[in-house]
Amino acid sequence: MLYRTAGQYKTTYRSDQALFPIRQDALLLGIILVLGWVVLPLTASEFVFQTLLIPVLIYALAATGLNLLTGYAGQLSLGTGAFMGVGAYACYKLVTIFPEMNLLISVLLSGVFSAGVGVMFGLPSLRIKGFYLAIATLAAQFFLVWLFEKWPWLYNYNASGAIQVPNVDMFGVWVAGPQATSTSQYYFVLIVVTVLTIVAINLTRGNMGRQWKAVRDMDIAAELIGINLLKTKLLAFAVSSYIIGVAGALFVFMWRGAAEPNLFDIELSFRVLFIAIIGGLGSILGNWLGAVLIVALPVILNTVPDWIGVDIKSATVEHINVMIIGALIVFFLIVEPHGLARLWQLIREKLIHWPFPY
Amino acid sequence: MKHLTRLALAGAVAVTGAAVSAQELYTPNLSYRTGPFAATGIPLMNGQADYMNMLNARDGGIGGVPVNFEECETGYSTEKGVECYERTKDKALVTQPWSTGITLQVLPKTNVDQIPILAPGYGFSPMSDGKTFQWAFNPPASYWDGMSMILQEVSGGDLSSLAGKKIAHLHLDHPYGKEPLPLLEAMGEQHGFEVLPIPVGISEMQNQSAQWLQIRRERPDYVIMWGWGAMNAGAITEAVKTRYPMDQFIGVWWSGHSDDLQLVGEDGAGYRAISWSLPNADAPVMQAIKEHVGDKSLADTEEQGEVFYGRGVVISAILAEGIRNAQAMTGNSEVTPSDLRDGLASLNFTQERIDELGLTGMMAPFATSCADHTGHSGGWMIRWDGSQFVQDSDLLSANRAAIEPLEAEKAAEYAASNAPWPMNEACEAM
Repeated sequence: MLYRTAGQYKTTYRSDQALFPIRQDALLLGIILVLGWVVLPLTASEFVFQTLLIPVLIYALAATGLNLLTGYAGQLSLGTGAFMGVGAYACYKLVTIFPEMNLLISVLLSGVFSAGVGVMFGLPSLRIKGFYLAIATLAAQFFLVWLFEKWPWLYNYNASGAIQVPNVDMFGVWVAGPQATSTSQYYFVLIVVTVLTIVAINLTRGNMGRQWKAVRDMDIAAELIGINLLKTKLLAFAVSSYIIGVAGALFVFMWRGAAEPNLFDIELSFRVLFIAIIGGLGSILGNWLGAVLIVALPVILNTVPDWIGVDIKSATVEHINVMIIGALIVFFLIVEPHGLARLWQLIREKLIHWPFPY
Repeated sequence: MKHLTRLALAGAVAVTGAAVSAQELYTPNLSYRTGPFAATGIPLMNGQADYMNMLNARDGGIGGVPVNFEECETGYSTEKGVECYERTKDKALVTQPWSTGITLQVLPKTNVDQIPILAPGYGFSPMSDGKTFQWAFNPPASYWDGMSMILQEVSGGDLSSLAGKKIAHLHLDHPYGKEPLPLLEAMGEQHGFEVLPIPVGISEMQNQSAQWLQIRRERPDYVIMWGWGAMNAGAITEAVKTRYPMDQFIGVWWSGHSDDLQLVGEDGAGYRAISWSLPNADAPVMQAIKEHVGDKSLADTEEQGEVFYGRGVVISAILAEGIRNAQAMTGNSEVTPSDLRDGLASLNFTQERIDELGLTGMMAPFATSCADHTGHSGGWMIRWDGSQFVQDSDLLSANRAAIEPLEAEKAAEYAASNAPWPMNEACEAM
């Protein structure tokens, strides 16, 4: 009913291969975009911006980066947190060395540094696969966090060893630092995330994405049909680390405002990996669904007792919260091991046939 | 349906409940009763909450207005800390961040949100400079004060006697642990003793064999510890194992937690820590808590006699005094965050006032001002005698003349890197 596809004929290959061949999908996306670009920024409170909207956008971007590498190219990585750190520290250095540079350029440039580091640690992927590669990226994770601690030049010899985001303005509006308003930060993040998501979608649908998928499914077969494994795998590491690095720069500059090295510890890597796995590997939509479940849901659950007027101790709420989120993760993975994106796909197929399933 | 009615009822109760207690002093606490540091957090937060609950029960709050001492659980995570800060900041009179990481994140926002930060005995030492940090308070003593007091105690009051000696600084590799290093290194250079920084990573807190191997090899004359949570217990058990002389091992106030020492009992006898608060079960305020809070307290009698619980009580007493000052200055019983800032900048804990509040023997006199947001009360050495911490020295005070130039330098550096940073020009310089 809602998803009736009858009457939507395709007359050219171009329209058949469009991003959204079904009109309802495009409409749904349009509604979400209007919500994200117009309605939410006008109505959201500071709390909603800082704890729901901005973090979901940033985590979804980081998971997109990881998903390109793990979900599309099949290279397992546990170094996401550290690559985010590279982006954040690179952005910090760029902003403090060239204060007059536009922040948007610094953020986009900082991804280049993490792409370089990602390629370096991606080199072993030519020789080792699967869990063994995961261990190699784990080495990156520990080494880089150690480096953030031990290389004082990175944090400008600050006594506390932490980086603090200075006030940065763009065209007369504060976009980073304590003076910036949440709305301007939100729009900054939204622009970067939207552009990079469109790039990611198109990459995965194009030649490069097909090569990644071929390597993921069977790399010997891919090599036999003429795909250059070295180039393909390293490109996957580069693109993935670039997006993760940009997400890391946004993470510190647009949201946290300050960061110490252990912020980029293995827990952050796992968090992003969970978002990608629960959302669905090999799917761009999945990253968004995963980020909503892992990042936003705990915050919303925390406000529930207050909202229905039950008086529970804050620590108890925290414990219950952990249990609920854990149970939900188990539930979703039992119902659909391929993640939330696949779950949505099934629901959508059912809706297309509803009310006359065959 | 039944559930729905119950929900609706609960909602109705909540609405009317809120209407009745509209007049309150909302002082949220970013607590951590969960996570890796919960063992040290719980007694502190119990002490804080019990003191405020006692005021509510005994006096009906402060100046007749009840205190809403709500806790927001962070688990010591900076991410949760920001969530809590955003959730409470609309109504909050004060931010009690309870972690150096959260303090660093909230500190730059204070000029915009205009809510005072109260970080008693932690946070960023240069916060003492009230001219630069208009909204931040770390009474009664900063980490640099603590380091200065420790050095005076081990040198017998004359730092030049340390010349040629070797002092190890065993610290958590985190902004908190690194904080006193600039001062220690400056002192070492000036007085000719060698400083050996030994960092302990957060992931290796419980297994410090590598660090203690280094200590055994280097044989420092003193080991000064800036530890927190599981790191304290780890260090103390390792010290016992390597037979490091306990009377040469000294901790900061957050490393003076009874539970950590109980693990080693008699073997830990002689370990000392600097502290700006003392437990005193006979103090009138402790009796008042027993009488008015009683069984509702989350702490048992043993915990109530410990150092950290007593410190929690002192911290809440400082906040309550700040609120009282603000009420006296404005003449209103309901105060705003900026009134409270003025209140906290005019704390005056004389010995008479301390006795009047029933805190006899639990804290030392100090006073804050517009330019001095710490007060520098000094502190005592407390020594573990095998079963509990006992007072081991007279009141020590920091060598402020040596610290002030460093404070001014770091505060100016902070303001410069966060430009535009408004200064409070109305204050005269320190």
